Amino acid sequence: MQITTLLFLLLSIMAVGAALMVLFSKNPVHSILWLIVVFFAISGHYLLLNAQFLAVVNIIVYAGAIMVLFLFVVMMMNLNQEDIEPVKNYRLQILGVLSGGVMLLIIVLAVMRLQETQPVQLKVGDAGLITNLGKTLFNNYVLPFEISSVLFLSAIMGAVIIGRREED
Amino acid sequence: MNAIVFTALWGVIMMIAGAFVRSTTAPRYMGMLGIILVFVVNAMELTSGFSLFTLPTMDMVRSSTFNLTFLAVVFGITFLIFLLNGRDIEKIGKHKFEYFAILFFILCGVSLVSTFNNLLLLFLGIEIMTIPLYILTGSDKRNLVANEAALKYFLLGSFSTGLMLMGIAFLYGSNPVASFYINNMQFGVGALPVLTVIGMLLLLSSMSFKVSVAPFHFWTPDVYDGAPTVVTSFMSSVIKIAGFFAFLRLFENAFGVMHAQWQMLIALLIVATLLVGNITAIFQQSVKRMMAYSSIAQAGFMLFALFAMNDMAREGLVLYSAAYSLASIGVFGVLARMDDITYGGFNGMGKTHPLLALGTTVCLLSLTGIPLTAGFLAKFYMLASAVQTGVYFWLVVVAVLFAAVSAYYYFRVIRAIYFKSPEGNNEGIKVSRSFEWILLLIACLIIALGINPEWLLGWMFI
Repeated sequence: MQITTLLFLLLSIMAVGAALMVLFSKNPVHSILWLIVVFFAISGHYLLLNAQFLAVVNIIVYAGAIMVLFLFVVMMMNLNQEDIEPVKNYRLQILGVLSGGVMLLIIVLAVMRLQETQPVQLKVGDAGLITNLGKTLFNNYVLPFEISSVLFLSAIMGAVIIGRREED
Repeated sequence: MNAIVFTALWGVIMMIAGAFVRSTTAPRYMGMLGIILVFVVNAMELTSGFSLFTLPTMDMVRSSTFNLTFLAVVFGITFLIFLLNGRDIEKIGKHKFEYFAILFFILCGVSLVSTFNNLLLLFLGIEIMTIPLYILTGSDKRNLVANEAALKYFLLGSFSTGLMLMGIAFLYGSNPVASFYINNMQFGVGALPVLTVIGMLLLLSSMSFKVSVAPFHFWTPDVYDGAPTVVTSFMSSVIKIAGFFAFLRLFENAFGVMHAQWQMLIALLIVATLLVGNITAIFQQSVKRMMAYSSIAQAGFMLFALFAMNDMAREGLVLYSAAYSLASIGVFGVLARMDDITYGGFNGMGKTHPLLALGTTVCLLSLTGIPLTAGFLAKFYMLASAVQTGVYFWLVVVAVLFAAVSAYYYFRVIRAIYFKSPEGNNEGIKVSRSFEWILLLIACLIIALGINPEWLLGWMFI
């Protein structure tokens, strides 16, 4: 058994296990913490696929920013009381079954057509390498890249203007 | 290219100056200096094609005399706003330098959307134009109405930007060469792929939102009404015309070949916009809100550029931009100095402030489209371009009818100015002598353009 296959299995078990824990945790804060584990495992998968940039961005954006946002919401609205009964809505259940069914359909179709398409291979392909990304970004897309700095600068300035306390 | 770099640079300079300079009048003069500088470098590129920078733009921006002339109009209008309402911009709040810096960043966005050749730059330009605008709308933090307006504008604006991104993604996926370049979309003339149609409709809706074309106009009255009046002045002039220019540029280059297929759609939008804008404007009590609806109505006329899309329409759009913006900054400039912004506030202005009354009247006449003013020729160019296309003649008739309707609410202000007696001495109107003269200068520009539009349009053909 190759080391990559071993890693793949390990990460997959980790991802699925943590995802199940997200669902079955009683405490919403625990759910969120387990979700972070899921994201780390998926980032590991990206690394195996040679997509370094995607892996890093996944950790920074999802595990970093969005999870903090989730935590804030849970804590601010004081949702982590375990005795709150989840609302059992008949219509919601039907919708859940429907969306889950669609997801299942997609997965089944993908598996059925596995022979026709080129399955993703581990450790080959260089589209996700940071080197190539950097080269494209600074050759073909250098103008949008530089100009987005104006956008960020004005947004930061706006945040300061709106957010700063003004003493009279 | 000059304009893009210089506006961004001057924004940064003004921002840094804000940390060191304590003077209270410096921001205004620095802003004027900056806008003159930008105007000059832009005129340099316009007259001699001389760009100060050779950047690896990968053909993502394209300058021609058409869009550089338009940019000259934009910078000229901004200069007039600074001249007329510079003091009011400083009065918005405590961060005087920052407001001007933000305005320069917006101008950078405007320069982008009027020269873009790539959908990525269109997106960036629209964002640079609107995000600082959300901030300016809400910059009067103590005012609940302004806060509501800013929030509304932000939520709806982000949503429409989302639609635009989705449209761009569809276009990227559906054009045969997978390109973001609008001059290289390579759509055929025959039946369109479904994805292209979806992408085009999404872009059409989001651009219509940005320029407040009905039925995407619902944010306009509240936002125009809630924002500080000087910001409204900027919004209704520079932002609006820039939006239209980007709209025309996008649809002309990317979807020009299938013009006949979406012409009907534009015709329907024109009728809806004229109807909603003009009819609702009649029932307004506040002049500021009436001007917001009138800006929707004027958008209907500017849409004729997209409907006709010939040489006359291009000239017409530049002329319309100049005429509409001049008149609009005039009226909003006066409103910014008034305590009472209902029709009653204008009562007897002709007796107490004769010069101010004269300037305002010329602006209102131009908005109505009375001959000898720029507004008349602008409307004439738009309608003539539509006649040239030879289809949908009824559209021109409808537009003329609604132009007649618009006379009602514009003349209501003029009637208040000259035929109503003032309450007291109109102390609510706080204008200086120099303000009146600048307003008269704007009025003179309107009449000059109304007599000889070649004076402006000639720049397009050097």
